[in-house]
Amino acid sequence: MPGLTASLSSLGKDVWLQLNNEQLRFTVVPEQGSQVWAVLAIDTIFETYNIQSAVENNTINLRIPLAPLLRALRSAVNASSVSIRLTKKDNVPLLSLTIITNSLTASRPATSITTTTLNPDNAPFPEEFSANDSFGEANAAGFISHDRERTITQDIPVMVLAATTVASIHEPQCPQPDVHIMLPPLLQLKAISERFTKLALTTSSSGARDRRAADAPASSSRLILSANAHGVLRIGVETSALKIESKWEGLTNPELDPQQVEGGEEGVRGHASTKMKEREGEEAWSVVRVEGRDWGRVLGVGRLGGRVIACFCHEHALILYVYLSNDDMESVLTYYIASYSA
Amino acid sequence: MDLQLILTALNSSKSAYASFSLDAIVFFDKYNFNPGTAKGRQNLDDAEARFTCQLYNKALLSVFKGRLGDVKDKDTAVERCECYIQEQPDQTECRLIVKIICRHGVIKTYKLTYESVEVMHALFNKNAAKNTWTIGASTLRSFAEYFGANTEQLDISTENGRATFTSYTEKVMNGRDVLKQPLQTSITIDNLDFEDFTVEEQLHVGISVKDFKAIVTHAETLKTSITAFYSFPTRPMQLNYHEHGMQCEFTLMTIGDYRGGSVTPAPAAVQQVSAAPVEKPLSRQFTAQASSITTLQKSTTMPPPSEPASRSFTREPQSQRTQRPSPPPPKPSLGTESLFMPADEDEDRIWGEKNYDDEQDTLGWDASANNAPGLNVTRRESESSSRLPPYRSWHEDLNIRIAPTQRISDVKALFD
Repeated sequence: MPGLTASLSSLGKDVWLQLNNEQLRFTVVPEQGSQVWAVLAIDTIFETYNIQSAVENNTINLRIPLAPLLRALRSAVNASSVSIRLTKKDNVPLLSLTIITNSLTASRPATSITTTTLNPDNAPFPEEFSANDSFGEANAAGFISHDRERTITQDIPVMVLAATTVASIHEPQCPQPDVHIMLPPLLQLKAISERFTKLALTTSSSGARDRRAADAPASSSRLILSANAHGVLRIGVETSALKIESKWEGLTNPELDPQQVEGGEEGVRGHASTKMKEREGEEAWSVVRVEGRDWGRVLGVGRLGGRVIACFCHEHALILYVYLSNDDMESVLTYYIASYSA
Repeated sequence: MDLQLILTALNSSKSAYASFSLDAIVFFDKYNFNPGTAKGRQNLDDAEARFTCQLYNKALLSVFKGRLGDVKDKDTAVERCECYIQEQPDQTECRLIVKIICRHGVIKTYKLTYESVEVMHALFNKNAAKNTWTIGASTLRSFAEYFGANTEQLDISTENGRATFTSYTEKVMNGRDVLKQPLQTSITIDNLDFEDFTVEEQLHVGISVKDFKAIVTHAETLKTSITAFYSFPTRPMQLNYHEHGMQCEFTLMTIGDYRGGSVTPAPAAVQQVSAAPVEKPLSRQFTAQASSITTLQKSTTMPPPSEPASRSFTREPQSQRTQRPSPPPPKPSLGTESLFMPADEDEDRIWGEKNYDDEQDTLGWDASANNAPGLNVTRRESESSSRLPPYRSWHEDLNIRIAPTQRISDVKALFD
């Protein structure tokens, strides 16, 4: 959960969270840059879950600032139990986290942020305790003085959104993707992308520095991503001074599932990506241009460790589906990254 | 009296005062103090002799800040630091000279202008502070990890055998701004987690989160325990710890409605705190405190204070600061006020009105600078300094200096 929040917070200031009986939807739509639309199964995050709302299907819409949420969740990393409630204090709606840690775990400061999911509502962490046991004697020394509870509450201000407000927020519409491809390990991709972005920024004209300060999309930091239906992904950068490209081969192009495609078998046959397979040469490549820094932030989702399928809509957009690991595809984050024109 | 160097500072809103007493023997490798000739000194016998001065804090910080990294970099590692006061009338006067001696004969010399003034110390009546607790600094430091980045106040309270630390921000927001309200965090621990705990039940007392963070961060580096003393809200709280010949004392003004008994940190309740109830008792209380201390001093064998002891509110180093010979302008990068904590993002401060630094919320002052027990926090920059044979030796060092980029061994190799 802290990992998810950290990934989201790199893209925007606050998140629209929609909760209902079946799922949680996290949506970040920043004024500029890429969007995330995440759908998570409730048991991905919560062990027990109660929701009551006057709205149909028990839906609650919240706007939550990501920075405090992240801070609050990080303080729960070593917790023995966590619960989160939507409540009101002095007429201000709050998400209130109650975190219980014992003194032992608390006295050892959290040095890393785990990306495992959080099980609030008095759910003990079996793996947490087994990890402690492996510390053996060092651990026993920590235990000698006490094993008392520490309670931390974190109150995050939120806004409750009316159904009419959220009705105007729509998931982006994209044409049929030309290429579906499984991305290589994101850490690798991120390192190379960031290197290219930096090169592009430093080798372009002196004005680049001003643009960086404003964080406006500068043509100088655009990365060119392209993929074909034969397992090849290219990422490159081109400025007046240099041209570099990295290439991955042997990647998987996932087949479309006829049951998921409109029109079934017929739909697959007529799908843009099926036609793409027959093309050759430059025609076989689907190309998008993304802003390097924004792309780097998107790749931060790698911390969640999911499988990532990139869908290229030639000269239009790049869509990433991040499937959270060991999950039956119920929990997926969808990133929409618009392509700049050449 | 033990020889010591005492560094003190007061924040601009006069709500927080820090004092570090460095023991001459334990803390320093070498320490010389010759009270004989120097001027700027009161007419005191040897036991009471001292040297006091005032320095521009940012200038002093610029010398020492960032030196932590030097230790790691072996080529420029600091071997030792020598400081001395230059006050001979035949030389440029009023300079604190700091020499940082690094490896390979690299010497960095800083000359800071000081103002030779009598310094003041914050009043704190430990006898009245019935509430006290002691706890490991690392525990408090771990609390700071949980607090939101921009929270302002920290409320400390006790109830049913448990102590609660709540960080909150006193701000009323509307509309979308509600989301900018910083996180409110409460941490509740068992009283038994303290090494020592004697606090009135249901007492709430509030200090600044920023001060708290700075103090616990420093204390944690010393791996020590912090002890707090306080009486009730709107009166000062003292936090202290000592280690390695360093005695650190912080006197912080507290907020909270002591007559209400319990101040919840909820915005509505906090509003009352900044309103009427606090102001009146504060001023009354300070005059009373200041004068009581004066009599205490007069009844002892201490010499009379050189200036009226109760120049509490109006007179303060700030007024003197403007008149001093212009100090070197601080670098913009030194904008942060705290030595140990990175400055919080100040975006939020633009919104908030800080009624925390009302004139009433200031500490009282005593100019006499006598080290009466319990209030021995004098504002003296350097009781003395390791007075090495001053200026001459430095000159000699200059002569043997070589270019800092080249190792001596390299130079020799060329001529061998």
